[in-house]
Amino acid sequence: MYRGFELTIIFWVAMSITYAFCFSALYAYVTLPEHLLDPNNTAKIKATLRLSTIRLVIVSLALIAYPIVFLKFFKYAKYVTVALTSWATTIYIDDYFVLERIVEYPDSGLISLVQLSRPIIILSLIWMSFELIFRSQTEV
Amino acid sequence: MIEKDKKNLEFATIFGDASNSQSKDKDHIVQSSTFRLILSFINLYALITIVLFFLVKGNLVGGVNTNFIEQGFLYVLNARAIILLILLIFLNVSAYYNYGFKYACLFLIVYMLNSAIDNAVLFSGFMHLSDRPYLSAFTITRPLFIISLFWVMIIHKNKFKSN
Repeated sequence: MYRGFELTIIFWVAMSITYAFCFSALYAYVTLPEHLLDPNNTAKIKATLRLSTIRLVIVSLALIAYPIVFLKFFKYAKYVTVALTSWATTIYIDDYFVLERIVEYPDSGLISLVQLSRPIIILSLIWMSFELIFRSQTEV
Repeated sequence: MIEKDKKNLEFATIFGDASNSQSKDKDHIVQSSTFRLILSFINLYALITIVLFFLVKGNLVGGVNTNFIEQGFLYVLNARAIILLILLIFLNVSAYYNYGFKYACLFLIVYMLNSAIDNAVLFSGFMHLSDRPYLSAFTITRPLFIISLFWVMIIHKNKFKSN
Protein backbone atom coordinates (compact mmCIF):
# COMPACT_ATOMS: atom_id res chain seq x y z
CA MET A 1 0.00 0.00 0.00
CA TYR A 2 1.08 3.52 -0.81
CA ARG A 3 0.81 5.49 2.40
CA GLY A 4 -0.49 8.82 1.03
CA PHE A 5 -3.60 7.58 -0.78
CA GLU A 6 -3.82 4.03 0.61
CA LEU A 7 -3.87 2.59 -2.91
CA THR A 8 -2.27 -0.67 -4.02
CA ILE A 9 0.85 -0.95 -6.13
CA ILE A 10 -1.28 -2.45 -8.93
CA PHE A 11 -3.21 0.83 -9.11
CA TRP A 12 -0.03 2.82 -9.69
CA VAL A 13 1.20 0.27 -12.25
CA ALA A 14 -2.16 0.51 -14.08
CA MET A 15 -1.95 4.30 -13.99
CA SER A 16 1.62 4.24 -15.34
CA ILE A 17 0.58 1.90 -18.18
CA THR A 18 -2.31 4.21 -19.05
CA TYR A 19 -0.09 7.29 -19.09
CA ALA A 20 2.56 5.49 -21.15
CA PHE A 21 -0.10 4.44 -23.66
CA CYS A 22 -1.53 7.95 -23.94
CA PHE A 23 1.89 9.49 -24.52
CA SER A 24 2.69 6.79 -27.11
CA ALA A 25 -0.60 7.53 -28.91
CA LEU A 26 0.17 11.25 -28.90
CA TYR A 27 3.71 10.61 -30.18
CA ALA A 28 2.45 8.22 -32.88
CA TYR A 29 0.00 10.75 -34.30
CA VAL A 30 2.31 13.76 -33.98
CA THR A 31 5.08 11.95 -35.87
CA LEU A 32 2.78 10.49 -38.50
CA PRO A 33 4.63 9.62 -41.77
CA GLU A 34 4.22 12.20 -44.57
CA HIS A 35 2.68 9.80 -47.09
CA LEU A 36 -0.28 9.17 -44.77
CA LEU A 37 -1.12 12.88 -44.89
CA ASP A 38 -1.37 12.78 -48.69
CA PRO A 39 -4.62 14.41 -49.92
CA ASN A 40 -5.17 11.46 -52.30
CA ASN A 41 -5.48 9.18 -49.33
CA THR A 42 -8.63 7.17 -48.88
CA ALA A 43 -11.66 8.84 -47.35
CA LYS A 44 -11.63 6.31 -44.53
CA ILE A 45 -8.12 7.26 -43.38
CA LYS A 46 -8.95 10.96 -43.67
CA ALA A 47 -12.05 10.50 -41.51
CA THR A 48 -9.99 8.49 -39.01
CA LEU A 49 -7.32 11.16 -38.79
CA ARG A 50 -9.97 13.86 -38.28
CA LEU A 51 -11.59 11.84 -35.53
CA SER A 52 -8.23 10.95 -33.96
CA THR A 53 -7.26 14.63 -33.77
CA ILE A 54 -10.38 15.40 -31.71
CA ARG A 55 -9.80 12.38 -29.50
CA LEU A 56 -6.15 13.27 -28.91
CA VAL A 57 -7.15 16.76 -27.82
CA ILE A 58 -9.46 15.16 -25.24
CA VAL A 59 -6.67 12.75 -24.20
CA SER A 60 -4.26 15.68 -23.74
CA LEU A 61 -6.77 17.54 -21.59
CA ALA A 62 -7.38 14.39 -19.53
CA LEU A 63 -3.64 13.85 -19.04
CA ILE A 64 -3.33 17.35 -17.63
CA ALA A 65 -6.56 17.38 -15.61
CA TYR A 66 -6.33 13.93 -14.02
CA PRO A 67 -3.35 14.61 -11.69
CA ILE A 68 -5.01 17.87 -10.59
CA VAL A 69 -8.26 16.06 -9.74
CA PHE A 70 -6.30 13.28 -8.06
CA LEU A 71 -4.27 15.59 -5.84
CA LYS A 72 -6.76 18.38 -5.15
CA PHE A 73 -10.20 16.75 -5.40
CA PHE A 74 -9.53 13.11 -4.55
CA LYS A 75 -13.18 12.63 -3.56
CA TYR A 76 -14.21 13.04 -7.21
CA ALA A 77 -11.31 11.04 -8.68
CA LYS A 78 -13.44 7.89 -8.90
CA TYR A 79 -16.06 9.67 -11.02
CA VAL A 80 -13.40 11.08 -13.34
CA THR A 81 -11.77 7.65 -13.61
CA VAL A 82 -15.11 5.97 -14.36
CA ALA A 83 -15.87 8.65 -16.97
CA LEU A 84 -12.48 8.11 -18.65
CA THR A 85 -12.95 4.32 -18.52
CA SER A 86 -16.38 4.73 -20.08
CA TRP A 87 -14.93 6.91 -22.80
CA ALA A 88 -12.06 4.50 -23.56
CA THR A 89 -14.56 1.61 -23.74
CA THR A 90 -17.01 3.63 -25.81
CA ILE A 91 -14.47 4.66 -28.44
CA TYR A 92 -13.22 1.07 -28.62
CA ILE A 93 -16.77 -0.23 -29.17
CA ASP A 94 -17.37 2.60 -31.66
CA ASP A 95 -14.27 1.82 -33.71
CA TYR A 96 -14.83 -1.92 -33.94
CA PHE A 97 -18.62 -2.28 -33.95
CA VAL A 98 -20.15 1.04 -35.01
CA LEU A 99 -17.69 2.87 -37.27
CA GLU A 100 -15.94 -0.17 -38.74
CA ARG A 101 -17.11 0.73 -42.28
CA ILE A 102 -16.19 4.38 -41.93
CA VAL A 103 -12.83 4.52 -40.14
CA GLU A 104 -9.57 2.80 -41.03
CA TYR A 105 -6.41 3.33 -39.01
CA PRO A 106 -3.22 4.03 -41.00
CA ASP A 107 -0.91 1.06 -41.42
CA SER A 108 2.01 2.50 -39.49
CA GLY A 109 4.13 0.51 -37.01
CA LEU A 110 3.53 2.54 -33.86
CA ILE A 111 -0.14 3.21 -34.63
CA SER A 112 -0.77 -0.52 -35.08
CA LEU A 113 0.94 -1.16 -31.75
CA VAL A 114 -1.19 1.52 -30.08
CA GLN A 115 -4.34 -0.03 -31.55
CA LEU A 116 -3.36 -3.50 -30.37
CA SER A 117 -2.72 -2.34 -26.82
CA ARG A 118 -6.08 -0.60 -26.39
CA PRO A 119 -7.71 -3.52 -24.50
CA ILE A 120 -4.84 -3.44 -21.98
CA ILE A 121 -5.52 0.24 -21.33
CA ILE A 122 -9.22 -0.42 -20.86
CA LEU A 123 -8.39 -3.18 -18.37
CA SER A 124 -5.99 -0.86 -16.52
CA LEU A 125 -8.64 1.84 -16.32
CA ILE A 126 -11.26 -0.66 -15.15
CA TRP A 127 -8.89 -1.76 -12.38
CA MET A 128 -8.31 1.85 -11.35
CA SER A 129 -12.06 2.54 -11.30
CA PHE A 130 -12.84 -0.56 -9.24
CA GLU A 131 -10.13 0.21 -6.75
CA LEU A 132 -11.24 3.81 -6.29
CA ILE A 133 -14.94 2.84 -5.98
CA PHE A 134 -14.44 0.01 -3.50
CA ARG A 135 -11.83 1.93 -1.57
CA SER A 136 -14.38 4.72 -0.94
CA GLN A 137 -17.04 2.17 0.03
CA THR A 138 -14.86 0.52 2.65
CA GLU A 139 -13.95 3.91 4.06
CA VAL A 140 -17.62 4.73 4.94
CA MET B 1 -41.44 11.10 37.42
CA ILE B 2 -40.06 7.60 37.75
CA GLU B 3 -43.43 6.23 36.55
CA LYS B 4 -43.34 8.50 33.48
CA ASP B 5 -39.83 7.38 32.55
CA LYS B 6 -40.89 3.78 32.96
CA LYS B 7 -43.87 4.33 30.62
CA ASN B 8 -41.65 6.01 28.04
CA LEU B 9 -39.28 3.07 28.23
CA GLU B 10 -42.15 0.65 27.72
CA PHE B 11 -43.46 2.56 24.70
CA ALA B 12 -39.95 2.81 23.26
CA THR B 13 -39.57 -0.96 23.68
CA ILE B 14 -42.94 -1.67 22.04
CA PHE B 15 -42.53 0.74 19.12
CA GLY B 16 -38.81 0.29 18.74
CA ASP B 17 -39.22 -2.66 16.43
CA ALA B 18 -41.59 -0.73 14.21
CA SER B 19 -39.30 2.23 13.71
CA ASN B 20 -37.92 3.10 10.27
CA SER B 21 -34.43 1.99 11.09
CA GLN B 22 -35.41 -1.47 12.27
CA SER B 23 -38.39 -2.36 10.10
CA LYS B 24 -37.42 -4.88 7.44
CA ASP B 25 -40.45 -3.78 5.46
CA LYS B 26 -39.01 -0.31 5.01
CA ASP B 27 -35.53 -1.50 4.21
CA HIS B 28 -35.41 0.09 0.79
CA ILE B 29 -34.73 3.57 -0.50
CA VAL B 30 -37.63 5.57 -1.87
CA GLN B 31 -36.46 7.87 -4.64
CA SER B 32 -38.01 11.29 -5.02
CA SER B 33 -40.85 11.90 -7.46
CA THR B 34 -38.54 14.19 -9.48
CA PHE B 35 -36.15 11.26 -9.90
CA ARG B 36 -38.93 8.97 -11.09
CA LEU B 37 -40.25 11.61 -13.46
CA ILE B 38 -36.85 12.29 -15.05
CA LEU B 39 -36.06 8.57 -15.29
CA SER B 40 -39.39 8.04 -17.07
CA PHE B 41 -38.53 10.87 -19.46
CA ILE B 42 -35.12 9.32 -20.18
CA ASN B 43 -36.70 5.94 -20.90
CA LEU B 44 -39.40 7.46 -23.07
CA TYR B 45 -36.95 9.61 -25.01
CA ALA B 46 -34.54 6.75 -25.66
CA LEU B 47 -37.31 4.32 -26.62
CA ILE B 48 -38.91 6.79 -29.03
CA THR B 49 -35.48 7.39 -30.61
CA ILE B 50 -34.92 3.66 -31.04
CA VAL B 51 -38.43 3.01 -32.41
CA LEU B 52 -38.13 5.96 -34.78
CA PHE B 53 -34.83 4.69 -36.06
CA PHE B 54 -36.31 1.28 -36.82
CA LEU B 55 -39.23 2.98 -38.60
CA VAL B 56 -36.80 5.01 -40.74
CA LYS B 57 -34.73 1.89 -41.40
CA GLY B 58 -37.79 -0.04 -42.51
CA ASN B 59 -38.78 2.89 -44.76
CA LEU B 60 -42.06 3.20 -42.89
CA VAL B 61 -42.02 7.00 -42.58
CA GLY B 62 -41.96 9.50 -45.40
CA GLY B 63 -39.87 12.62 -45.89
CA VAL B 64 -36.45 10.99 -45.44
CA ASN B 65 -33.87 11.43 -48.18
CA THR B 66 -33.11 8.01 -49.63
CA ASN B 67 -29.45 8.96 -50.26
CA PHE B 68 -29.09 9.31 -46.54
CA ILE B 69 -30.36 5.76 -46.11
CA GLU B 70 -27.86 4.41 -48.61
CA GLN B 71 -24.88 6.06 -46.99
CA GLY B 72 -22.86 4.48 -44.20
CA PHE B 73 -24.74 6.57 -41.69
CA LEU B 74 -27.54 4.01 -41.54
CA TYR B 75 -25.18 1.26 -40.42
CA VAL B 76 -23.83 3.59 -37.70
CA LEU B 77 -27.34 4.44 -36.53
CA ASN B 78 -28.26 0.77 -36.44
CA ALA B 79 -25.33 -0.11 -34.16
CA ARG B 80 -25.92 2.99 -32.01
CA ALA B 81 -29.61 2.13 -31.53
CA ILE B 82 -28.74 -1.38 -30.34
CA ILE B 83 -26.02 -0.14 -27.96
CA LEU B 84 -28.35 2.56 -26.60
CA LEU B 85 -30.99 -0.11 -25.93
CA ILE B 86 -28.47 -2.29 -24.07
CA LEU B 87 -27.25 0.68 -21.99
CA LEU B 88 -30.84 1.67 -21.22
CA ILE B 89 -31.52 -1.85 -19.93
CA PHE B 90 -28.42 -1.64 -17.72
CA LEU B 91 -29.54 1.77 -16.42
CA ASN B 92 -32.97 0.46 -15.46
CA VAL B 93 -31.60 -2.69 -13.86
CA SER B 94 -29.14 -0.64 -11.79
CA ALA B 95 -31.98 1.72 -10.79
CA TYR B 96 -34.17 -1.22 -9.78
CA TYR B 97 -31.50 -2.89 -7.68
CA ASN B 98 -30.12 0.47 -6.59
CA TYR B 99 -26.59 -0.60 -7.34
CA GLY B 100 -24.11 1.33 -9.45
CA PHE B 101 -26.77 3.68 -10.83
CA LYS B 102 -24.52 6.75 -10.80
CA TYR B 103 -21.84 4.88 -12.76
CA ALA B 104 -24.38 3.54 -15.27
CA CYS B 105 -25.59 7.12 -15.76
CA LEU B 106 -22.04 8.37 -16.18
CA PHE B 107 -21.38 5.68 -18.81
CA LEU B 108 -24.51 6.65 -20.73
CA ILE B 109 -23.62 10.36 -20.56
CA VAL B 110 -20.13 9.67 -21.90
CA TYR B 111 -21.55 7.39 -24.60
CA MET B 112 -24.05 10.02 -25.76
CA LEU B 113 -21.45 12.80 -25.76
CA ASN B 114 -19.01 10.66 -27.69
CA SER B 115 -21.58 9.69 -30.32
CA ALA B 116 -22.53 13.37 -30.71
CA ILE B 117 -18.86 14.28 -31.27
CA ASP B 118 -18.38 11.38 -33.72
CA ASN B 119 -21.44 12.38 -35.73
CA ALA B 120 -20.37 16.02 -35.81
CA VAL B 121 -16.84 15.13 -36.97
CA LEU B 122 -17.67 12.39 -39.47
CA PHE B 123 -21.05 13.30 -40.93
CA SER B 124 -21.42 17.07 -40.61
CA GLY B 125 -19.90 17.60 -44.09
CA PHE B 126 -22.48 15.76 -46.14
CA MET B 127 -25.47 15.48 -43.87
CA HIS B 128 -28.19 18.11 -43.71
CA LEU B 129 -30.83 18.30 -41.04
CA SER B 130 -33.55 18.31 -43.72
CA ASP B 131 -32.40 14.89 -44.97
CA ARG B 132 -33.63 13.27 -41.83
CA PRO B 133 -36.17 15.58 -40.17
CA TYR B 134 -37.40 13.08 -37.58
CA LEU B 135 -33.98 11.97 -36.44
CA SER B 136 -32.68 15.55 -36.55
CA ALA B 137 -35.27 16.49 -33.95
CA PHE B 138 -33.61 14.04 -31.61
CA THR B 139 -30.11 15.14 -32.55
CA ILE B 140 -31.02 18.75 -31.72
CA THR B 141 -32.64 17.82 -28.42
CA ARG B 142 -29.80 15.52 -27.37
CA PRO B 143 -28.43 18.10 -24.86
CA LEU B 144 -31.77 17.83 -23.06
CA PHE B 145 -31.29 14.08 -22.75
CA ILE B 146 -27.73 14.52 -21.45
CA ILE B 147 -28.85 17.17 -18.93
CA SER B 148 -31.61 14.82 -17.73
CA LEU B 149 -29.09 12.02 -17.24
CA PHE B 150 -26.79 14.34 -15.34
CA TRP B 151 -29.66 15.56 -13.18
CA VAL B 152 -30.90 12.06 -12.38
CA MET B 153 -27.33 11.06 -11.48
CA ILE B 154 -27.05 13.93 -9.00
CA ILE B 155 -30.43 13.46 -7.26
CA HIS B 156 -30.18 9.66 -7.03
CA LYS B 157 -30.09 8.47 -3.41
CA ASN B 158 -27.96 5.36 -3.01
CA LYS B 159 -28.09 5.12 0.80
CA PHE B 160 -30.15 6.16 3.79
CA LYS B 161 -29.52 9.63 5.16
CA SER B 162 -28.89 8.14 8.60
CA ASN B 163 -26.05 6.03 7.15
